[in-house]
Amino acid sequence: MPSTTEGTRPAPQKKTFGKSTREVPHASQKAQKWYPTDDDAQSKKVRKSIRASTPRSTLAPGAVLILLAGRFRGKRVILLKNLDQGVLLVTGPFKVNGVPLRRVNARYVIATSHKIDLSGIDQKKVEEVASEKYFAREKSDKKTGEEAFFKQGEKPEKKKPSSSRAADQKAIDKAILSTIKKEPMLISYLGSSFSLRKGDRPHEMAW
Amino acid sequence: MRAQRSSALNLPLKYQLSNERTLGGPPRSLLWIGAEWIICYTSAFKSRLTEYQVIGRHLPTEANPAPKLYRMRIFAPNTVVAKSRFWYFLMKLRKVKKSNGEIVSLNVIHEKRPLKVKNFGIWIRYDSRSGTHNMYKEYREMSRTDAVEALYQDMAARHRSRFRSVHILKVVELEKTDDVKRPYIKQLLTKDLKFPLPHRVSKAAGTKIFVGKRPSTFY
Amino acid sequence: MGDADITASSWRLVEVGRICLIHGGPSDGKLAAIVEIIDHKRALIDGPATDVKTAVPRQAISLANVILTPLVLEKLPRSARTGVVKAAWEQAGIEAKWQESSWAKKRAQRERRRALTDFERFKVMRLKKQARFEVRKSLAKVKASAN
Repeated sequence: MPSTTEGTRPAPQKKTFGKSTREVPHASQKAQKWYPTDDDAQSKKVRKSIRASTPRSTLAPGAVLILLAGRFRGKRVILLKNLDQGVLLVTGPFKVNGVPLRRVNARYVIATSHKIDLSGIDQKKVEEVASEKYFAREKSDKKTGEEAFFKQGEKPEKKKPSSSRAADQKAIDKAILSTIKKEPMLISYLGSSFSLRKGDRPHEMAW
Repeated sequence: MRAQRSSALNLPLKYQLSNERTLGGPPRSLLWIGAEWIICYTSAFKSRLTEYQVIGRHLPTEANPAPKLYRMRIFAPNTVVAKSRFWYFLMKLRKVKKSNGEIVSLNVIHEKRPLKVKNFGIWIRYDSRSGTHNMYKEYREMSRTDAVEALYQDMAARHRSRFRSVHILKVVELEKTDDVKRPYIKQLLTKDLKFPLPHRVSKAAGTKIFVGKRPSTFY
Repeated sequence: MGDADITASSWRLVEVGRICLIHGGPSDGKLAAIVEIIDHKRALIDGPATDVKTAVPRQAISLANVILTPLVLEKLPRSARTGVVKAAWEQAGIEAKWQESSWAKKRAQRERRRALTDFERFKVMRLKKQARFEVRKSLAKVKASAN
């Protein structure tokens, strides 16, 4: 292991041996007595870089998506906005199929070719919901110690949906619902959930 | 080098085929046409064999400065085999071999009417395990190469013979139906020929592994 | 013993002029006429449809890759050229006859159904359900009145 540190090299010492003086390198500069038995493993240089994700061309806002994973798998929902890193902001609408404003992974979604006109939607509200803080988990003031210990036996209070969220949901869904109503069968389509039947070949289907 | 030789012979340059630059395989051959090399894609992919015209001769000597040219039509999978077969046959017929001879020209013979159904008579010499036989067979095909290919398959099936044990002597198109001798071809030349396709299993029925009904084979 | 009732078999025959549907290969699903029989397993076919998309080039084809249709070009001479076949084809109105047949309609419907989008598939399901409901309703009515 060559221990040549650049820049600050400890200065050599001058030493007298009998009559002569000689420069003796610092102890750390001496050649090593032993060679390492193994070569040093050199760590790999990372050549990857973080790139902005580009959503699939089918994932345009207003598209009807089929969710494939998670609590709402099989539900048909409406895409509101493409967020960073392959995340999508979707809504049920909540009144139709019970799916709230929600972020989903673009990988676990099938985009259908049906599109819904989002022109009447409150864009400001969507921006607000799309911000990173909106879905951040509330920090609970965790009770620790004696009080929490005695509360273990009791049932914890059920989490209630915040009223502001519900209001946001209504505000966004209102415009969507009015456009959905215009097309026959569209509401029941969004209300139904997708599943594969006998003989269905998803790789050969058109969406 | 080859160009010099052939120009000395005054052969038409149009039909010069480069031996050195041939990439191998029947569908591709480089032809010298006018001023540039072009790649010719010949015959359908099905065809394994190609018909070649090979012209060769003994090397010129002081005693014979202008030796005779020999021409053969050879069915072979590629030009390399075609040249090899040329020397194989020429050695049997004349006192010329590859080391004292040269190939003057080699080109592909294309079927003139590949969309016409024809009857072919083929004469062959065939080495069986116990002796040598001459044979005459007939085939109904679209081209000479198809007929020869069918012949090799037929010989392999009926007599377990290989390519090396069959010599094709002559391939003739039988233009008159009276010239057809074999009954298996004659039966196809009857007037108003028609026949059903009994017992057909439809391919669509095979898509499912298990079905409740037996397929209908009548049609 | 009773009298045997003998009827001629109604096989579709491989014959010159027979229209066949090609199964597999680049011309899959197109119509062509048999121009000449090569042997018991192969035939020369030609599909001179006016539309380039449905035309089949003249070629030898294995009868295994062909489905015979009930349509025939009557009195087509053996090994007729493409022009002659085309004239006979148009005169017989093969394409119109084929489009009218329930076979072609079923094929077209299958193609259409296969190309449906997700929403359209849902609509088909709903409409079929509605039709079924109406049929059942009227059937129940008839049954009730019969008693």
